[in-house]
Amino acid sequence: MLETLSLMGNGFVSALYPVNILAMIAGVTIGIVIGCLPGLSAAMGVALLLPMTFSMEASTGMIMLGAIYCGAIFGGSISAILIHTPGTPASAATAIEGYQMTLKGQAGKALGTACIASFFGGLLSCISLYFFAPVLGKLAMKFGSPEYFWLSIFGLTIIAGVSSKSMVKGLMSGALGLLLSTIGMDPMQGVKRFMFGQSSLYEGINVTCALIGLFSMSQALILAEAKIKQRARATQFNDRMLLTKDELKNIAPTIGRSWIIGNLIGILPGAGASIACFMGYNTARQFSKHKELFGHGSYEGVAGSEAANNAVTGGSLIPMLTLGIPGESVTAVLMGGLIIQGLTPGPNLFVGETAKMTYTFFAGFVLIQFFMLGIGLLGCRGFANIARLSDAILIPSVTILCVVGSFAIHQNFVDVVIMLIFGVIGWLARKFGLNNAAIVLALILGPIGEKGLRRSLLLSGGDPRILFSTPVCWVLIALCVLGILSPVLMDKMAGKKIEEDE
Amino acid sequence: MKRFIFLALVAALVMAACSAYAWAPKKNVTVIVAYKAGSGTDNTARVLSKFATDKIGKTLVIQNLEGGSGSIGWTALANARPDGHTIGFINLPTLCSNIVEGLGDYKVDDFVPICNHVNETSLVMVGKDSPFNSVEELVKFAKENPGKLKASTNGMKASNHIGAELFAKSAGFTYMAIPYGGTADQLLALRQGEVDFSVAKEADIAAMMSEVKILGVFAEKRMASFPDVPTLGELGLYNKWYGSARAIVAPKGTSPEAVKFYEEAFKAAMEDPEYIAAAEKAGVTTLFMNAEDTAKLINQQYQFCTDEVAKLWD
Repeated sequence: MLETLSLMGNGFVSALYPVNILAMIAGVTIGIVIGCLPGLSAAMGVALLLPMTFSMEASTGMIMLGAIYCGAIFGGSISAILIHTPGTPASAATAIEGYQMTLKGQAGKALGTACIASFFGGLLSCISLYFFAPVLGKLAMKFGSPEYFWLSIFGLTIIAGVSSKSMVKGLMSGALGLLLSTIGMDPMQGVKRFMFGQSSLYEGINVTCALIGLFSMSQALILAEAKIKQRARATQFNDRMLLTKDELKNIAPTIGRSWIIGNLIGILPGAGASIACFMGYNTARQFSKHKELFGHGSYEGVAGSEAANNAVTGGSLIPMLTLGIPGESVTAVLMGGLIIQGLTPGPNLFVGETAKMTYTFFAGFVLIQFFMLGIGLLGCRGFANIARLSDAILIPSVTILCVVGSFAIHQNFVDVVIMLIFGVIGWLARKFGLNNAAIVLALILGPIGEKGLRRSLLLSGGDPRILFSTPVCWVLIALCVLGILSPVLMDKMAGKKIEEDE
Repeated sequence: MKRFIFLALVAALVMAACSAYAWAPKKNVTVIVAYKAGSGTDNTARVLSKFATDKIGKTLVIQNLEGGSGSIGWTALANARPDGHTIGFINLPTLCSNIVEGLGDYKVDDFVPICNHVNETSLVMVGKDSPFNSVEELVKFAKENPGKLKASTNGMKASNHIGAELFAKSAGFTYMAIPYGGTADQLLALRQGEVDFSVAKEADIAAMMSEVKILGVFAEKRMASFPDVPTLGELGLYNKWYGSARAIVAPKGTSPEAVKFYEEAFKAAMEDPEYIAAAEKAGVTTLFMNAEDTAKLINQQYQFCTDEVAKLWD
């Protein structure tokens, strides 16, 4: 124990070497820029800079890549808040409340909330990285095919949360998303489904493409429809970024809950930040004292989503470092970086000489969060001015970003066409009161659920009892029931409270 | 006079060198990798690119065009402008089996081989808590309980599914193949105990050696890295090499001078002691083959796919 403590202490000492500080500042800045550009994901950023780290010391290289990762996950929220364009799928839920805040002239406050929530989410995730990594790592081993099926069902119950206006339309949106998620090669038999001869659709509809279309392109269409607004003259623009003490106190429990959600989701391979942000957002809504603000610009919603997606960063490192299981593409690239440095992920990272590198990286990960907060708050002051731009500038800029962003994913024009189709779908969906967030959620979760269900049944020879065979399954089933019933129960309880107050 | 002869010799050497390297890239070189960042192919490509940059004199920019089991990136590579500034990594036998399956828009002739980079042998493995300690025990149980054993694969008809089929067909047992859509998930299922055995390649298990038992290798003779593990051929089962190879190719129409230039540059990179050390650490089993031998390998793998693999699914 004492030995571990001294390793942790020494980690901080070596993480504070000037070269490491430089790596953090550079990494966070590059990450934020990559994150806020739609189409450029955290994974791409990390992969792009990976060769640069080959010649660095292992810990410095890992710190730099970790900084890009954290920066990119936060950076995605900037464009989500300002122009309703989530820079990465991890910020999809942030766009819901964040953009509403911008419309109300509170862009600064939304960015500030995102920054502070990301900071705490990331910082808290370091605690689990430090103290519970070996224990939590085992959780990843407990998730087999039946568990993934239930996880996706639990994720889908969030639709009830995001569709506050009309449950029926929320369910319709979810069903549409699930239907769209069946496009591509069937994951079990390799049968081509609804591909219309397009080999680009082989792996299904690219979620980033769909996201850019549904959120951003549809936004540009909506803006273009209405009269051009000159926001620069809007009187109610308020660029105060820091939250008051009361507001901070208000979001503290939200951040705590999102930390736990983000961390656990981060640990599970294949789930990742894009699901965690929705779960964090939904939980924030369920526990909020100001539910009426949700859908109309609630800073608690922004905090819930952003704390959760940044808590994923620390969580996703756990199975990669302790078991050599990369949970998502970013950690896969990081693991590649480790292997190229000659370090084998697994328990041996925590003993002997390599433990020094591991704990320096951990300490660096803690410090990265502080740099993210600093650089974020400084930069956002400038970014917030985007909210003042006139629609005449905003509409073409967003359209260009959409086209370039969707093209950047694979350098493929088919992706641009898919983005445009989803732009129209998103525009129509908003006209009919359908919910774009629910469509995206179902699009992400559909394949996870389908694989989980079909693989489980293949393993059991068609016996459905396999879906109820482990304690983890039952926990998830309980969560699903809770997820479905909680909106009803919460309403009842809220009703009672009002009666009591009277 | 002596000086003059010396200068003349130098001049002659320089000219000889110039004619041998008549071609050199004028701008950064795009390297297409048909798998996503962080995948096995991507990692090995990045290690080599780092050491090849000096030899090529321009930066190698890796472009990950993943999807469609490699076919999206390879279609892009086949259709790239053959001016010597776009090259790419191909995976065998996947490139060939994609052609046989009709995935993607390319044929074997659409690529000009430059050289081979990596060869990985496939292995038969079980989880560390498995009751089976040898291929014989596994085969005996499988024959007594037909269809009962489950094997995880990296996808329907994907490379490790082909390996499991070759093993099972040669041993004469039936089993259930469960596709996991990727090697990482395939091996996680094996470690979780969701399935009984797996066939995967040596580099895939570098990070988890203590958690699996390797029972047999798809090689013609025992491997230096696993001297105690029998080859399947020794046991009277599948007796040829099976595994995957990663080669570097250019689109059809690339000039022979450019191909020669890259062949020499990559050869030099693969012989660089620093590269060798880095590759060893990263678990990359380098095997340089010149353009001619690589062409033979590609054709032989194509034959293998049309003759043997196609029969597996009947």
